[in-house]
Amino acid sequence: MMNVNALRAERGTLLAFAAAIALVIVGGIYRPSFVQPENLATLLLLASFIGIAAAGQTFVVLIGGIDLSVPWVLNAMAILLTTTSLGQNDRAWWAVPLALGAGVLAGALNGLGIVLFDIPPVVMTLAMNGIMEGLVLGLTGGFTCGACNSYAPPAIVWLFTAKPIPGVANGLLLWALIAAGVGVVLSLTLLGRRIYALGNNPLATYLSGIDTRAVTVIVYALSGFFAAIAGFGLAAFGQQATLGMGDPFLFDSIAAVVIGGASILGGKGNYWGSVAGAIFLIVLRSVLQEYNIGEAGRSIASGVVILIALLLYGRQRAEF
Amino acid sequence: MTRSPARYPARSMARLRLRYYAVQNVPLLLSLGLFVAMVILYIILFALKQSRLPGAFELLTTVNNTLSVGLSAIGQTFVVLTGGIDLSVGGIVDVTNSVAARYMGDSPGSIALVSLATLAVGAFAGLTNGLLVVYGRLQPIIVTLATLAIWEGIALLVLPQQGGSIPPALTAILAGTLPFLTWLPNSVIIAVLLVAGWQLLRSTPFLTGVYAIGNDERAARANGISVARAKLGASTLAGTCAGAAGLYFAAANTSGDATSGTPFTLTSIAAVVLGGVSLFGGRGSAIGSLAGAFILTLLLNVLFFAGVNTQLQEFFQGLFLILAVVASTLVRRSLQRAR
Repeated sequence: MMNVNALRAERGTLLAFAAAIALVIVGGIYRPSFVQPENLATLLLLASFIGIAAAGQTFVVLIGGIDLSVPWVLNAMAILLTTTSLGQNDRAWWAVPLALGAGVLAGALNGLGIVLFDIPPVVMTLAMNGIMEGLVLGLTGGFTCGACNSYAPPAIVWLFTAKPIPGVANGLLLWALIAAGVGVVLSLTLLGRRIYALGNNPLATYLSGIDTRAVTVIVYALSGFFAAIAGFGLAAFGQQATLGMGDPFLFDSIAAVVIGGASILGGKGNYWGSVAGAIFLIVLRSVLQEYNIGEAGRSIASGVVILIALLLYGRQRAEF
Repeated sequence: MTRSPARYPARSMARLRLRYYAVQNVPLLLSLGLFVAMVILYIILFALKQSRLPGAFELLTTVNNTLSVGLSAIGQTFVVLTGGIDLSVGGIVDVTNSVAARYMGDSPGSIALVSLATLAVGAFAGLTNGLLVVYGRLQPIIVTLATLAIWEGIALLVLPQQGGSIPPALTAILAGTLPFLTWLPNSVIIAVLLVAGWQLLRSTPFLTGVYAIGNDERAARANGISVARAKLGASTLAGTCAGAAGLYFAAANTSGDATSGTPFTLTSIAAVVLGGVSLFGGRGSAIGSLAGAFILTLLLNVLFFAGVNTQLQEFFQGLFLILAVVASTLVRRSLQRAR
């Protein structure tokens, strides 16, 4: 039983990595410059933003929840960072913790609404997404404020895009660090055990004396935390924060988790799968772009790929 | 529990029954109450700002603005009643909106044919979702997230640039008034017909099956209800309603846009929740969802007349959604405790 489930998640991870490598080869055949190390490193950096947001989504999906507030929590925290730091390092030391804290707070509020008032996660996080969007638009006057065009602080830009090791952007090292951290939390700590337990059987977990409410709130807070970091990365990569920069992340963060083999019902999956899923999504889109396929075609392909991944390893057992 | 009901006098029996009905229908009653409250609030604020009561024109614009969300919310209701959810509504509205704007000509034949075609596209999209959920044994939330991306892409292929045209005749039929009843918008008649249609459907074995599997799929299956048929029917109807929403939206705006449907995923879910339909399945009614759609529109009107910054719209909609669910939960808990 345990082995079957473990294998299933593993199969997703391996398949997603294999498919990503196959796609890179396909892209390389069409245009050799596609497989240049610089290009691959850029693709990995782009994948890291999806991957970091998907870290939070992985936690949430593992307990059987879903976080639809990722797009605007991410966007709001990126804008909070740029508008409070005004592109200055000497303001970043408080602007960064402020935006990170606000992300954690938004996530924790999601969790509190879910555990205290039985609000279904879909509704709670959907409403939170709207609240964040409205706050951003209202407080920045529709993004017309003077500080709205501020740059990301140089320290944050350095953290994500500088290359002290030639060819490898710092963002990739940060992502590797996050992946290692999430891996340790999920597989070696008590919290990780409880997250899998809660996802597999909430009632049994509650009855065995675990504070399932606390676990839920922590998990959603983590999702807000990672959404904020992904927002920082995106703002650093584009120098500025823009309205709507988070929109693709609703689909992408969930898609990465699902392509990586985690069960949307909770309890099965790991972060390595989501890492593979994020890389696969980015490689797929850029290969399609190499073949001059437009936005419409890329959107259709992303949807079809999720369906294929689900049919390969996301099916439930038949009921009789 | 141990006392037999016969010991109660008739009047308190009636009161008990009323209370039972109230407890069973707390969410629906709350949402209808909220709807009435919003109408009253809207009329008061309107009268204060404009020094007159809202009239036929305000009725026309309010109902016209609501009906496409209302249609998509009715569709969402079918799926939510089975315990599922449809995130592809926005994509289906995108694609049907684009089909209507691109292909519809001015002749009556073309109007009828393309209108039917948009509904058929919607039905096909819904059926696809249903087949993937039932025979693919996949989770609705993730299947419809994938088909959302697919339909959004197809809509862009159908109508790469916003525009196209909708014949004025269709706009007049769907969003105008009858020549001899100018105070009564056609959209109100459509809304009444939708409610009547729902009531007719309510007593059919199909919808009974939908409610049954939403409450307890295993028990329903054990009682001989075809889970596959109920789910396929629900998702096909949901797609058809989303198609109707796309058609109506195109007619009301007299043109099409391949991305204009995207917000419908969220608003249809918000309307269903405000309408008192349980996202866990098996409880609620499309009448509530339609009321929920009106609540969303009226909320925007009220905020406008109250002089609130319109850029804060989403903030208040989100807050309102949370407060409505919290109120419903608290009322249900206190009523259950009182029993």
